Amino acid sequence: MVDASVAKRLVQAIIDNLPEPVPGKRPVHTIGIGVKGEFVASDVARTYCIAEHFKGQPVPVSVRFSNGLGGLEQHDGWSDVRGMATRFHLPDGRGTDLIATTLGEFFVRNVEDFFEFADVAKLEKYERRAWWRKLGDLLQLKVPPRNPYPNETVSVDAGALRYANRHRFAQLGIFQVSLIGAPVSYARASYHAVHTFWVTGSDGARRPVRFSWQPVAGVRNTDPKAVPRDKYLFEELKNRLRRWPARFMLMMTIGEAGDALDDPTKPWPGTRIRVVMGTLTLIKVAEDQEADGERISFNPCRLVPGIEVSADPILEARLGAYEVSREMRGGCPFRWR
Amino acid sequence: MPGDEGLLDRVVDWLPKTLVFKRVASWTLVPLWARLTPVKPLPGGPHLSFQHGDNVQCMMNLIMPLKVKSPIGRAEAALAIAQNKDAIFAGLNNVGTVHFARFVIVGDNICMFSVYDGDFTNYIRDFIATIGSVFNAVVELVEGGDDVIPCEENVEAFIQWVHERDLYQVPDTATDFLRDQEALNGEGAVSGNDDLTLLPRKLVLQLRANANVSLGSGYRAYPGFSVAQVRKQLGLGW
Repeated sequence: MVDASVAKRLVQAIIDNLPEPVPGKRPVHTIGIGVKGEFVASDVARTYCIAEHFKGQPVPVSVRFSNGLGGLEQHDGWSDVRGMATRFHLPDGRGTDLIATTLGEFFVRNVEDFFEFADVAKLEKYERRAWWRKLGDLLQLKVPPRNPYPNETVSVDAGALRYANRHRFAQLGIFQVSLIGAPVSYARASYHAVHTFWVTGSDGARRPVRFSWQPVAGVRNTDPKAVPRDKYLFEELKNRLRRWPARFMLMMTIGEAGDALDDPTKPWPGTRIRVVMGTLTLIKVAEDQEADGERISFNPCRLVPGIEVSADPILEARLGAYEVSREMRGGCPFRWR
Repeated sequence: MPGDEGLLDRVVDWLPKTLVFKRVASWTLVPLWARLTPVKPLPGGPHLSFQHGDNVQCMMNLIMPLKVKSPIGRAEAALAIAQNKDAIFAGLNNVGTVHFARFVIVGDNICMFSVYDGDFTNYIRDFIATIGSVFNAVVELVEGGDDVIPCEENVEAFIQWVHERDLYQVPDTATDFLRDQEALNGEGAVSGNDDLTLLPRKLVLQLRANANVSLGSGYRAYPGFSVAQVRKQLGLGW
């Protein structure tokens, strides 16, 4: 496990880059909404993973959707990574989590990379690029930087780009962030768990896998040319679930020898075998948002027998960092198994 | 902020969306940058890989300009395929590594798109053995084809000829396209002094050098399975 002091430094590095402190709240993915639902594993899931929630019986779940930005300001319409943290409530009272975001690949490989990124990609003043500089970009066949959103005065975009220019491993993740957009609904985005996990099947075979949630309603973003709205995602989800449940398929991609098992910056090819592991049905927005959204303490390493962490250093670091963050905001304690 | 924008800001934001700008840039800026920063066309076909999943359901995308660029030339190509239907099915059934193959006429080109398992050279070699006559009938109608037919007597040259016409497969992830260009130029550094904002220009210049490409390596509903596995699982025999 990553040293506790390193975990604290990781969280502090994130907090130091916030526009203003958010005591008692998550430092990033601060704005979110808790939802109740049910997960039912597919017929084949148990073949690949013996974990309790893949046995086939309906499993109650708590999901928290979130905007990636840290801070109390809600900007649903800004291009931003979205989160989908899922707690499976198992029959014996335990729980297991799956934390995913709309980002397909991460932008750092390990803790050292992260500290360097945090140092380079600081919040900076963000202004409209002058017209003559934009014209210069066009003459060089470059795409000029986006215009600031209404009321956007600072951003990490410039620093993140500098970091990506120095480090090729970071380029995919940072390029994806720059184009990620805003979903029309939390239920209309794909979410990826990014890290590799090892699952054990009913035949005892261990396989490296990556998980993704794929929306049954399909993926759809807002029009990037339109003026973004700040608050619509919560209301949209409430209205949607009042009318009809929202569903996601849990897809599991199986890695092959030679695939990046411990590096979340590297994608796996689309030629890998994908297995449908089950269907998540979201039923209603939780009535007690404090208990079922804000105080619930997710951790990507909260696993049950049948699923294990890989040696991915970022996954390992998240175990401690999420605990530090939880302690700082007074969330529910993390119970190991 | 939107309120701060002046007339020139709005004009410059609007400009790249206009057809006029795109046309003028295509005539002036693209040739200029192609001369200042020349790019080599990236090679076609699947990326080399030793991994199982990358060696099943591989794509071949051939675009072959017809010699006779008219409805008559196109009709000749259509007839060449129609007359060889039995030979094509016999080849598919005997070779056993092809998921599907399609012949398509686009403009004055005959195109062959197929999805196959295993090594590209073996795939073509097997087909020369089983349906060489079909290849000859098609290639005879195509520019530059005379030198490699009959393909049964020019096996290696024919394989190379096909490979040279197989489209570059733009990677599924945009930044892997940069890695392909670096590899072609012999640049292998992990970290450098890159400028990610040049990605659009690099793509434009590659598509100038390589006008026809495959976008991505294909989107598969059941990746990782060979023809043999599918036939066996479905009980279709062999």
